[in-house]
Amino acid sequence: MSSVALGSASVTIGAACAIAGIIIVLLGILGYRPRWFADTKLLVGLMTLASVASVVIMERALITRDFTVQFVADNGSSQTPALFNIATLWAALEGSVLLWVLVLCGYVVAVVVKFRNDGDDPMMQWVMLTLFVVCAFFFLLMVGPSAPFTSFDPPPGYDGPGPNPLLQNHILMAFHPPILYLGYVGFTVPFAFAIAALVTGRVGEGWLVATRRWTVLAWGYLTFGIVLGAWWSYETLGWGGYWAWDPVENASFLPWLTGTAFIHSVMVQERRGMLRVWNLSLVVSTFALTILGTFITRSGVLQSVHAFVESQIGPWFLSFFALIVIVSLGLIAWRGDELRSPGRIDSPVSREGAFLANNVVFAGFAFVVLLGTIFPLIVEAIDGRTISVGNPYFDQMTMPIGFTLLFLMAIAPILPWRKASGEVLSDRLIWPAWLGAGSMVLAVVVGARGWAPMLAFGLGGFAGGAALRQVVLATRRQGWRGLVGRTNGGMIVHLGVVLIAVAFAASNAYVRQGEFTLEPGDSAVISGHTLTYEGSRIVEYPNRVERKADIRVDGGQVYEPAISTYPFAGQTIGTPSVRSTLQDDIALSVLSFPEDAADAVVLRATVQPLILWLWIGGIVMAVGTALAVVPGRRRNPIAPTSALIPEPVSVEASS
Amino acid sequence: MTRHLASWLAVVALGLSMLVFAAVDEGPPLSNADRAYSLAQDFACPVCQGQSVAESDVVVARNIRREIRVWVDEGRSDAFIRDQLVDTFGEDVDYTPSAEGVTALVWILPVVGGAVAVTGLGLVFRRWKRDADLEATDEDHALVEQAMADRG
Repeated sequence: MSSVALGSASVTIGAACAIAGIIIVLLGILGYRPRWFADTKLLVGLMTLASVASVVIMERALITRDFTVQFVADNGSSQTPALFNIATLWAALEGSVLLWVLVLCGYVVAVVVKFRNDGDDPMMQWVMLTLFVVCAFFFLLMVGPSAPFTSFDPPPGYDGPGPNPLLQNHILMAFHPPILYLGYVGFTVPFAFAIAALVTGRVGEGWLVATRRWTVLAWGYLTFGIVLGAWWSYETLGWGGYWAWDPVENASFLPWLTGTAFIHSVMVQERRGMLRVWNLSLVVSTFALTILGTFITRSGVLQSVHAFVESQIGPWFLSFFALIVIVSLGLIAWRGDELRSPGRIDSPVSREGAFLANNVVFAGFAFVVLLGTIFPLIVEAIDGRTISVGNPYFDQMTMPIGFTLLFLMAIAPILPWRKASGEVLSDRLIWPAWLGAGSMVLAVVVGARGWAPMLAFGLGGFAGGAALRQVVLATRRQGWRGLVGRTNGGMIVHLGVVLIAVAFAASNAYVRQGEFTLEPGDSAVISGHTLTYEGSRIVEYPNRVERKADIRVDGGQVYEPAISTYPFAGQTIGTPSVRSTLQDDIALSVLSFPEDAADAVVLRATVQPLILWLWIGGIVMAVGTALAVVPGRRRNPIAPTSALIPEPVSVEASS
Repeated sequence: MTRHLASWLAVVALGLSMLVFAAVDEGPPLSNADRAYSLAQDFACPVCQGQSVAESDVVVARNIRREIRVWVDEGRSDAFIRDQLVDTFGEDVDYTPSAEGVTALVWILPVVGGAVAVTGLGLVFRRWKRDADLEATDEDHALVEQAMADRG
């Protein structure tokens, strides 16, 4: 049997299972099928098997270069190195849908396993129904407009072009998309529970508690996926930047923003029973934004470095997005009365007050990013003009938002629930404030100037101090347990955010770039670094030919930025080389080897401070998220936690 | 607040003075290369997909970078450079949407939205504050004691 036949069969079986699942669950809901959950388990198993099979068949076709599969003929090549051969799966649309479905099935299995004893719960019926509908959508996508297994008749000696050279140039490409998908797709689970809560009318805190860890985990993957994407972009694109407000970057950032708002406001609902409509809206928006993002970036309506070739999936995604929005809004409107929150917030200067402010700011952030991303479409629809919205707009609009968030990050963690007195604030914030001022002094001493980065350093120190204070207090009180659990892990995540914010501000404000034409033996000086060009070499690899320039940095190690020619893809791309230290980065890329000068090189050097801290911050965030999903110490359910009492007698005295 | 009053005054004064110092003392001026790099990020490469002139490696983008550098060396203003590029390549190379006509909305909407959100938040808090000030009744106290007793 050919790969195409086997693959198509497994995709079709998967779609059939998803549709059968919808029918069985509906029968269960209507009462005709009391054993619906047992059937569901079976169907989920089969569906997952089909999905695994389709991925395995595609990977096998890619690895064995089976060019009778159109996808392999278009994206594979006998010259692609083994690792990137596997990663070719997500280098184009059809394969990335395969990966998406695999991840989705994985989550569905996890739900079935985790809630295996809740088959009698009507809520589970609606959860499974929602999950099956989402699965059916993606499987049908593969049966219809985005079929991965179509046949190709390769002429004798045919070899494919291989994936886009940019996608086979760096190891991170093997990790960035799968991790990002784990994040995107993970939000399907809280979405399904939110829909189920609305339908069954159990809009209390039950569904939130049930999906708490799922949300945090999905959020963690999304965060890490985005950071890895920025890292990849910095290491391979060679222009010295890592974030360009590209539509696809925005599309991944949007659900991150609403998801971040959600994991904060959830705590208000758990503690105070408030913000129910708001939380449901955030969950729905997060999921809907992942679909909208896929529509924007995969349908060809917006151009982007990530856009795959234009495809017919646009109308599908747009319809699915519309369905999600209409059903969710309808349900929320229907349950409106029951969703009205019983509580109220006593004082804006309280934990819940700060969370509320945080949510308004995050919603505003998401609004700005969404508006900027789709605005060119709106203008074109209104008066036919084509315009662009990019860097300058996003930088200007998001800077004040970033400052506000840093400020909130500083004061929110130390605020007690309900109400805080000035005395409490003053006691708890004084040393974080000194840390903030201290970091400004340090920044000035090392030569930093400009009000905006300075404000970022000050607020960063302030927020970092507040998070550190919480971590220190918690570990003193509880030992290693002071590092796990949602609150404590969250503080570690905050520390990661602070690192990223400071590194972002510094690298943006103090970037220095120069382009130099150098003969062998020539040196150039940029930002106090001496770059010496020692000559160039040609190195041949199976999939590419590289002309490397040897650049000695500060008289020390030699770095080898290169220009790589991929004969099969018919493309030439730069392969940058980066010297990283904790202090600053020098990104070197060869722009060209001019034809008229024998061995000269046109070199671009970008020097930016603190870049490495972006990635360290990302890792700290990932570690913090992992710690946050480890169960922490259980809180005594009736212990007073929102009291007005000042600090407990003093921690030192009790130890 | 009273306990740390002196400390707070000192820390705020220190922070503000650093901020003012950093804002006034501009440090070394931007070199032409840096200004050219910064400008290149503000324009879309006309033939690329979603990449700026600074990012892209294609010939057109390189030529534009070179032209920007020449203009910067000639001491031209940002506005001049923008007009030149827009005249040559069309409005959509400019990453900064103009503040006139329909496109002004992209600047106005977030500001209006922000103002509405802040006002809304203020109103909500005021209403909550007005409805607040419930005193715990004896019945409430009894409930709490009951719960504590049950806990043993």
